[in-house]
Order: sequence, then C-alpha cells, then structure tokens
Amino acid sequence: MSTFSDASGVVTPLPKIRRPTGFSGVVPAFAFVGIFFVAPVAILLLRSVLEPVPGLGNYAQLIGSSTYLKIFANTFIVSGLVTVISLVIGFPVAWALAIMPGRLTSVIFAILLLSMWTNLLARTYAWMVLLQRTGLINKMLMGMGLIDQPLALVNNLTGVTIGMTYIMLPFIILPLYGVIKKIDPSTLQAAALCGANRWQCLTRVLLPLAMPGMAAGALMVFVMSLGYFVTPSLLGGTANMMLAELIAQFVQSLVNWGMGGAAALVLLVVTLSLYAVQLRFFGNQNPGGR
Amino acid sequence: MLLNFDRLGWWKYLLLGITLLTAAFLLLPIVFIAALSFGSSQWLIFPPPGWTFQWYRELFADPRWLESALTSFKIAVIVTVLSVLLGLVTSFGLVRGSFMFRDALKALFLTPMILPVVVLAVALYAFFLRIGLGGTLTGFVISHLVLALPFSILSISSALEGFDKSIEDAAVLCGASPLEAKIRVTLPAISHGLFSAAVFSFLTSWDEVVVAIFMSSPTLQTLPVKVWATLRQDLTPVVAAASTLLILLTIILMALVAVVRKVLKQ
Repeated sequence: MSTFSDASGVVTPLPKIRRPTGFSGVVPAFAFVGIFFVAPVAILLLRSVLEPVPGLGNYAQLIGSSTYLKIFANTFIVSGLVTVISLVIGFPVAWALAIMPGRLTSVIFAILLLSMWTNLLARTYAWMVLLQRTGLINKMLMGMGLIDQPLALVNNLTGVTIGMTYIMLPFIILPLYGVIKKIDPSTLQAAALCGANRWQCLTRVLLPLAMPGMAAGALMVFVMSLGYFVTPSLLGGTANMMLAELIAQFVQSLVNWGMGGAAALVLLVVTLSLYAVQLRFFGNQNPGGR
Repeated sequence: MLLNFDRLGWWKYLLLGITLLTAAFLLLPIVFIAALSFGSSQWLIFPPPGWTFQWYRELFADPRWLESALTSFKIAVIVTVLSVLLGLVTSFGLVRGSFMFRDALKALFLTPMILPVVVLAVALYAFFLRIGLGGTLTGFVISHLVLALPFSILSISSALEGFDKSIEDAAVLCGASPLEAKIRVTLPAISHGLFSAAVFSFLTSWDEVVVAIFMSSPTLQTLPVKVWATLRQDLTPVVAAASTLLILLTIILMALVAVVRKVLKQ
C-alpha cells in the first residue's frame, strides 16, 4: 500500500524511500581525485611529523628560526600590501565599469579578461624587463625628472608587490563590479534627498553597501597571494623568499621532505581556514591561483 | 547620483582617469612583450634601435623550443579529452544523482582549484618519485588533469543544471533508448558547457608552470618549463618571441569562445 487517507479523506502519497542514484557516475572521478590528489597531499603532510624522526621537531624548527619567521613575515606583508593596493585601485575601476555607458566598458572588460588569461610567465617576464635598472619604468621616471638615479624595482619585495598586484587586479575588479552593479541607485538618491553631500553618500552609503563584496574580494586576493610561487621567485631576490618558494626549496634543493611537508601544512591550514571564513560569511566565489 | 555617470560632476573625470590608467597598466606588459619580440636590441632596450624577426628565427631554429611546444600541445590535448569525458560522467552523477555526501563530494572535486598549486606540485612530485611516474608523459597528464578537472566539472555541471531533463525524458517516451536520448538530445543542448570545459582544460594544461616544473625531466619538458628555465639564466628576447606566441594562442582561443558563445545563443 503506497497511499493512505487522512481524516478529511484526502489521499496523500507516502514519502518515497529515496534510493541513491547516479553514484556510479562519480566513482571514476572519486577514485582519480582520491589517488592523485588526496593521497599525495595526505602523505606529504604525514611526512612532516614522521621524518626524519617522529614528532613535532620540524614545526619547532620552522617556528624557532628567525630565517623562516622572516619568510612568513615577507609572505604576509607582500600579500597584505597587494590586497590593499588592489582594493584601492580596484574599487574606483569597478565603480566606473558599473556605471559607465556602452562601448568603453566592453573594451575594458576585454582587457581585463585578456590580462587574466595571458600566460603567467609571459606577464612576469614582461615585468622583469620593464622594472630593470635600465628598464622602461626607470627610464620614464628619470625622463620626467622624478628621480635622479634608477630605483631598485626588481629582485626585491617592491618588484614582487608590483607584479602580484598586476596579476590580482582583475580578480578584485570583477567581483566588485558585480556587487556595485546590484546596488539600487535609488538608495543613493534617497540619501541625497535627505541632504547628504557627495562625500557622505560615498562613505556612508556606497562604501558600506559594497563592503561585503570588498571583504570577499580582498580575502580571496590575500589567500591567492599567499600561495603564489612563480611571480615571487622571478621578481623577488634570493634574500626575499616567500612561503611557496621555501616549500619548493626544501623539497628540490635540500631534499628535506619533513620540513617541506611542515611548511606546506602551514600554508594549507592558513589557506583553507581563510577560505572557510570566506564561505561562511560571503558565499562561494571561484578563484584560481598559481 | 553616485551611480549615475552623467551626474557625477568632476568625479566622473577622476573615475574615468583611474580606469583608463588601470587599463593601460594591464595592457602594458602584453603590448610591451609583443613589441620587444620584434626589437633588434639583444639587451632589451626600449624603444629598440631597429626591428627584426631574428628572435623568431632563433626560436624556430632551436629544436628544443619546438620539441617542448609539441610536448605541451600533446599533453594539453590528452588532458582536454580526458577532462571533458571525466567531467561529463561526473557532472551527470553530481547533477542528476541523489546520494549521501553529494555536496561534500562536489566540494572535494573542486578543491584542487583553491589549493596552493605548490603544495599539490610537491606532493605529486614525491608520490610520482615512488611509483616511477616522475618525468613521464603519463605523470604530466595526470597532474595537469587534477588541475583541469574542476574547471570541466564546473562548466558542464552548470550547463546540465540549466537543461530541462523532461526534454530528455520526452525523447525516451518517443522511443529513444536512455543512452540515445542523452547522446542525441542532452549533449547537443549542453554543448556550450562542453566547449567551455574543453577550452578551460586546454588552457589550464597549456599554461601550467608550477606542477610542470616538478614533473619535468631533462628529456621531457613543456613550453612553460622551457621558458622558466631560460628565464633563470638570462632575459633573452627569444623568450619575448615565445611569450608573444603564447599570448597569440590565448587571444585566438578567447575569441573562439566568444564567437561560439554568440553562435550557440542564437
């Protein structure tokens, strides 16, 4: 018997027993991701507490050394700077894109997408050449009489910050654009009618309304910056290593899997917890980090 | 009024100025590299004293550049095919299926996208050293597939979610077998998703550097690894030529996506 009548005589179907369907479809991907993603990462992290001797020695060494602490500091300082600068430049651009009329907007969108999808190495190489002592940027600054001597713009944290900000800008502009586009213009009209001047409208209406988008974008840029490898190692000097490079160096040159695993775990924990914050407070966004 | 461009007053010009400067900043390296690749100065002086094809000739004359480009292409094509096939089967399971931990599983499949790539690279490097896949084509394909699959699953799932399953059911009622209905009704309807999945997978593999650095061997390396290795020695304009070709491919693929989207929408 699959139905029953209640007191009023209305026939209601019994709740169906839900049989799992479609699981076989995900089995191949599950096996693949399990073997070639979950297992390798888990083994790497396990090695951090097992090699060379079981225990937390690797982590003690990581925290106890001023060299490593400086690398952590570098990583967080650069990522923080990149986030703040991207936000300061990205907000007006996203704002302009959201309200600007017609054709110019689509040209700028095309530029944004092109720069996002252009090979990372090609872009980083461009900055290596542009920022040299004899490079175009120094030449232009000297030509304008702003500086007398070429600035050291590359092989230091300045170079990394410039190169990373360049990469991150589209990642902050696009989500911010979406948020500002959704704001109802009448809220600002209402503020103006109530006597707010332009500045008050900006700081007390527009900025607060855009705040969730700004926070979400900033968090995403910060997390992505923490794990970057290619750009910091090409634009930064050997004296200004960042965390991703440290992991690579432990593994490639020092063949120290224990320390490599420990540094990887630190990066992983910071990354995943910040993403958890992101998911909890701002919903899902789709990043992509190299 | 702040959201009305014409009523912004002088703020309008401020916003416009910042936007144009930012656009120029984003475009600068791309244009610069292209110009540099035709410049005659070996020391990358800009503006160059003259123009030349010399660096392209050197690029094509060196069999190692060509070989690495072919390796990259081969890997990217295999990864694209596998990624779309696996993405398709998985998306059917995720979108149509109902089983425990479905959302958790989807999150797991997308995790490689948010994980710092260097962690995955190092982990796979260790794993492949043990099982003998380091420096092999299979190793490259597997590691690139881990990174490409999330993009594929995302594109195909979202296309499949937007497709009304009752149309497929109608085809079955009209006498098609379930498989036939999927192939002749559902697949064409989600072809834009399959196409995005293919393009994203190809570009992910083609542009991948970090994992490739760890996977490569002296005899087997991809184009980005070759660029990386060359850059660490000197800034030769040959790299500018190689980069320009990479950028050109990206522009062609992006234009293709735009055109196909337009055609499919009509």
